[in-house]
Amino acid sequence: MTPVPLTVIAGYLGAGKTTLINRLLAEDHGQKLLIMVNDFGAINIDAALLASADQDTLTLTNGCVCCTMGADLFLAVGDALDRRPPPDHIVIEASGIADPGKIANVANAEPDLRYGGIFTVVDALHFTALSTDPMIGPQINAQVAQADMLLVSKGSATQVAGALATLSGAPVLDLALTTQVAPTLLGDVERLGQAAHAPHPDYIAWSTASDVHMTRDALTALLAARPAGVFRLKGFVAALDGGGWAVQVVGRTVSISPADARRTQLVAIGLAAQVDTAAMDQWWRATLR
Amino acid sequence: MSEITVFKAKSIITMDPNLPRATHVAVQDGRILAVGGANCANAWGAVRHDDTLAETVLMPGLVEGHAHMMAGAIWQYIYTGFHDRIDPDGVLWPGLSDLESVVDRLAGIEQDLPDGAPLIGWGFDPIFLASDRLSRAHLDRVSSTRPVVILFSNFHLMCVNSAALDLVGYDRETNVEGVVKGSDGRPTGELQEMAAMFPIMRRMGIDFRGLTARDEAVRAYASVANRAGVTTVTDLFSQMENEDLEALKRVTSGSDFPLRVVPVLGVMGASPDEIITQVQHMRRNSTEKLRMGAVKLMTDGSIQGWTARVKWPGYVGGQPNGIWNTAPDQIRTYCTAFHAAGVQMHIHVNGDQASEVVIDALAEAMTHSPWRGHRHVLQHGQMMGMDQFRRAADLGLAVNLFANHIWYFGDQHVELTMGEDRARRMDATRSALDAGCALAIHSDAPVTPMGPLFTAWCAVNRRTMSGHVLGPAQALTVPEALHAITLGAAYTLHLDAEIGSIETGKRADFAVLGDDPLAVAPDALKDVPVLGTVFGGLVHLV
Repeated sequence: MTPVPLTVIAGYLGAGKTTLINRLLAEDHGQKLLIMVNDFGAINIDAALLASADQDTLTLTNGCVCCTMGADLFLAVGDALDRRPPPDHIVIEASGIADPGKIANVANAEPDLRYGGIFTVVDALHFTALSTDPMIGPQINAQVAQADMLLVSKGSATQVAGALATLSGAPVLDLALTTQVAPTLLGDVERLGQAAHAPHPDYIAWSTASDVHMTRDALTALLAARPAGVFRLKGFVAALDGGGWAVQVVGRTVSISPADARRTQLVAIGLAAQVDTAAMDQWWRATLR
Repeated sequence: MSEITVFKAKSIITMDPNLPRATHVAVQDGRILAVGGANCANAWGAVRHDDTLAETVLMPGLVEGHAHMMAGAIWQYIYTGFHDRIDPDGVLWPGLSDLESVVDRLAGIEQDLPDGAPLIGWGFDPIFLASDRLSRAHLDRVSSTRPVVILFSNFHLMCVNSAALDLVGYDRETNVEGVVKGSDGRPTGELQEMAAMFPIMRRMGIDFRGLTARDEAVRAYASVANRAGVTTVTDLFSQMENEDLEALKRVTSGSDFPLRVVPVLGVMGASPDEIITQVQHMRRNSTEKLRMGAVKLMTDGSIQGWTARVKWPGYVGGQPNGIWNTAPDQIRTYCTAFHAAGVQMHIHVNGDQASEVVIDALAEAMTHSPWRGHRHVLQHGQMMGMDQFRRAADLGLAVNLFANHIWYFGDQHVELTMGEDRARRMDATRSALDAGCALAIHSDAPVTPMGPLFTAWCAVNRRTMSGHVLGPAQALTVPEALHAITLGAAYTLHLDAEIGSIETGKRADFAVLGDDPLAVAPDALKDVPVLGTVFGGLVHLV
């Protein structure tokens, strides 16, 4: 089967994970999501969008499914993969204290899954106190350190930017500054990269397609120099000998794996407030020189 | 009026202070009608005398207050552990003290397996083996074509052969945390933690909830209990769903099923309201042999895994403090909500910081809603000191301490986790009693084998595997230890009105023993033969 992307949403109790999931469910992203949550009762779905509901599953008219994961998260992941048809994307709401890396790692391990990233929600009002709490501070900080992207809720990202930067180099997105969370969380960059799907005004989409080829070292250096504010980048880069690489960037995480790539084709998205297509073009041209 | 049966025994240890010893017990309708001598039930009419147990010693059916249903199901896999162990059919599986023996056992079994079936082992623990690490190379000698998987005793690690690695595509290119690589850059076969193990488990059908929900698993659990003299057992982190409940009701209701099962609903993440609804549904579905209505909370990890939350000065090796599996804030939320709803809690606390957080949380919960007689239970409580036991007693909390740890992990606790000074006061059974706490002791099977008499032996002798006596000041007397595995454990399950002693009116549940635990030397307590049980007046010898 085509590997299903798996995204983990982490963050302490009350950070705003459920609010984020409610936003995601309400957006028009065109994907059949399977979302596993801790607290079923907090999921807020317009009755008109609800196709059916039972003890532990809500089915939406757009094909999305929201379910509880029970005490065994991995069993629930197995059940999700066994669904026919399988979901387009699995989103897991980690428990408030969970180590998101231990969950997301399953997407690297399981051939039927693909890594979709760790998104840690940070409550701007309470982060500083939690981060220094002798009981749970280390676990809170680990959630930040493991994130591919940090999503700030309940305040301005500038309030916590300094504290977050000491823990993580992940890009920071202020949830109040965007009306769309799906492009970031789901990374459907191909869809956004197509002209028919103009990106939401909050986002910029950038793409390139050419016969450019490069060495792995050059590719690594190129990606390391990507403009800040690129949340997602995906595609293929051709090599001189005819092979090539599949490339995926989720926030701070870059993965490069061998693939059959005849042409170089990349698509990227970022928040319009932080990056523009001119900067992307400039980066791409500069590194090719 | 149904028949009255009077069982004769060599001796009966009643655990009833009004009549500590008897020779006969009369049973009617599954309950104890009278206790005493041969004539004890004559006032009730005609009796039938049954002398089949005349050469045995009877005790109240033993109560295991902290074990898991998986202790039965796991035996569908091949035991590869270091200690001798007896399976549900009574077969002794000798402990394997080196990797060659592990390979030999698996290779012998492999020959008889049907084509295509995976070979799965369990119970392996390298901590006891002084040799190379188990690797793909060893397991490839078992089979080069059939997937071979060995689950380690802690269930956090496994080792697999090349055929299994191929099945999930783990190779030189794999770059996944937990897929251990050797100096040659290839996976060694060792896989660490669930994420790395998941692709194997998924393809081999290793599904612990599914395993424990099957009829055979429940029956295997009953056999394990029967061989240990246990007539009431917990399943202390049940992940039961509604369809499992119906199956469990059906299996346990059989008249030949010799066990009362107490599934305690595991809580992980869900909202208190959802859990209260579910557990109240379970409570309403309770039967004579299936008792539900309590919940199990997790807090920290394990001491030997350095994941327990411990107070200053922490681990002797300088390891960082452990992890919370439930955040202290959420522990407080759960404690307040469950206490207010009248839901009894069994709460996992290994380290002393975890027990402190829970005691604080319960004290807080009790300021919001009065409930005398809640009997919330601190489970494991391995690092609790006198101060915490006193607070627990003040609050009416019971404790169920992990006495088996002294034998199985005591030496490791001295050397690697707590150091001798604090290891001496681990599983402090004496302090618990002195403080006035209701006390039970447990095996946590399948973590250690179910066997309350062995658990009692641990609490009485406090001997480690190396022969060291760890913390003799915390030792129980034999009568105290026997109380902990009968009435003490029954109390923690709110069942002491029905079981735990042999006295008129209680269930006719007995452990049938080949010797007298109060007469043998205290260090021979673990060697007292268990011949089987009587459950509801029906004899089930092994």
